[in-house]
Amino acid sequence: MVGALKEAGISFVSYLPETRLSQIVPLMREDPSFMLVPVANESEAISIAAGASLGGRPAAVYMEGSGVYVGSYNLLVLGKRLGTPMLLLVAYYGSILDKRNSFLYAFPGIHLIPILESLDIQYEVFKEADDLEDKIKGAVKMMHAIKQPVALLFTGAFTA
Amino acid sequence: MNRYECFEFLAPLIKDQLVIGSLSGQRVEWGHLCRHEGNLLVASMGAALGIGIGLALVLPHRKVIVLESDGSLLLSLYNLPTLGNLSLPNLAVFVFDNEVYSGTRISEPSATAGKTDLAGVARSCGVERAMTVREIEAFKHEARKAMEENVLRFLVCKVDPTTRHRQIERPSEDLWEHKYRFVRYLERTEGKKIFLGRG
Repeated sequence: MVGALKEAGISFVSYLPETRLSQIVPLMREDPSFMLVPVANESEAISIAAGASLGGRPAAVYMEGSGVYVGSYNLLVLGKRLGTPMLLLVAYYGSILDKRNSFLYAFPGIHLIPILESLDIQYEVFKEADDLEDKIKGAVKMMHAIKQPVALLFTGAFTA
Repeated sequence: MNRYECFEFLAPLIKDQLVIGSLSGQRVEWGHLCRHEGNLLVASMGAALGIGIGLALVLPHRKVIVLESDGSLLLSLYNLPTLGNLSLPNLAVFVFDNEVYSGTRISEPSATAGKTDLAGVARSCGVERAMTVREIEAFKHEARKAMEENVLRFLVCKVDPTTRHRQIERPSEDLWEHKYRFVRYLERTEGKKIFLGRG
């Protein structure tokens, strides 16, 4: 995943780490091609990524699914209305394929895709690592083409 | 002191700095006084400071000026710990604090009319040079330092509520046009492509 992000040209990541995908953070930190910014709130991560993106560094935001709820206002006004390319790397907790699903995770998980669809944000769900590189490359190409956020949701094999 | 006279002082100081603005009357007044291509007036509450942090991080050789309001900053206080921890020397933040929900036209007092001290909050978050000014001469003195020095500054400017912006014609430029103008200016002055998608 980290190699694919780099290969696709992502060089800036603002993030609020969680438990399912957090192994990517030390890997990115070891690679000087990534500029990493930890934040207090996913809404903040989106606005900082918007600034980085408009300043010329292709940007991603890494967060848990709940971050889409927290950041939905900035996704609308900065991602969609202003039109800013950014890749959303989302740990899709509470999905049917979430191996650690629970009462706490399921309800936010159920509403995650409807929120993305209501914001008209293009997304792709990853259950396995198959075609990961090609799909990340395609998602980055899409975010540059439409100059808007594109979301990648990671569940299944990524939630062990 | 009012916001418009502060802007009248600031606008001639803008050369190649990037200016990120918030919403409401501030956007109208600044856009009227300063037609700089490096303006990015995002017309969203709670977003200007985050965008300014992102720009200052990826363009460390460019000065980034953020114009915030009390309402917009209160909506995004989560930026302050990040601001303090990063302490970006090429960033200057101006918060025009009129102490009211003036956008509602009913001028209800906001939190900063009470006990909330935004400069104090910023200092507690690690922003060392955070202060409040209440008079135009003090503003000019501190603003000039903020523009010239290579150190993070956070200036809360206590201003009177005014309706000056309502006398100014609103721009016809929409946000996409505004964004493209800003990005093409950056591409030209930075000598690099920013929007990478094929048209």
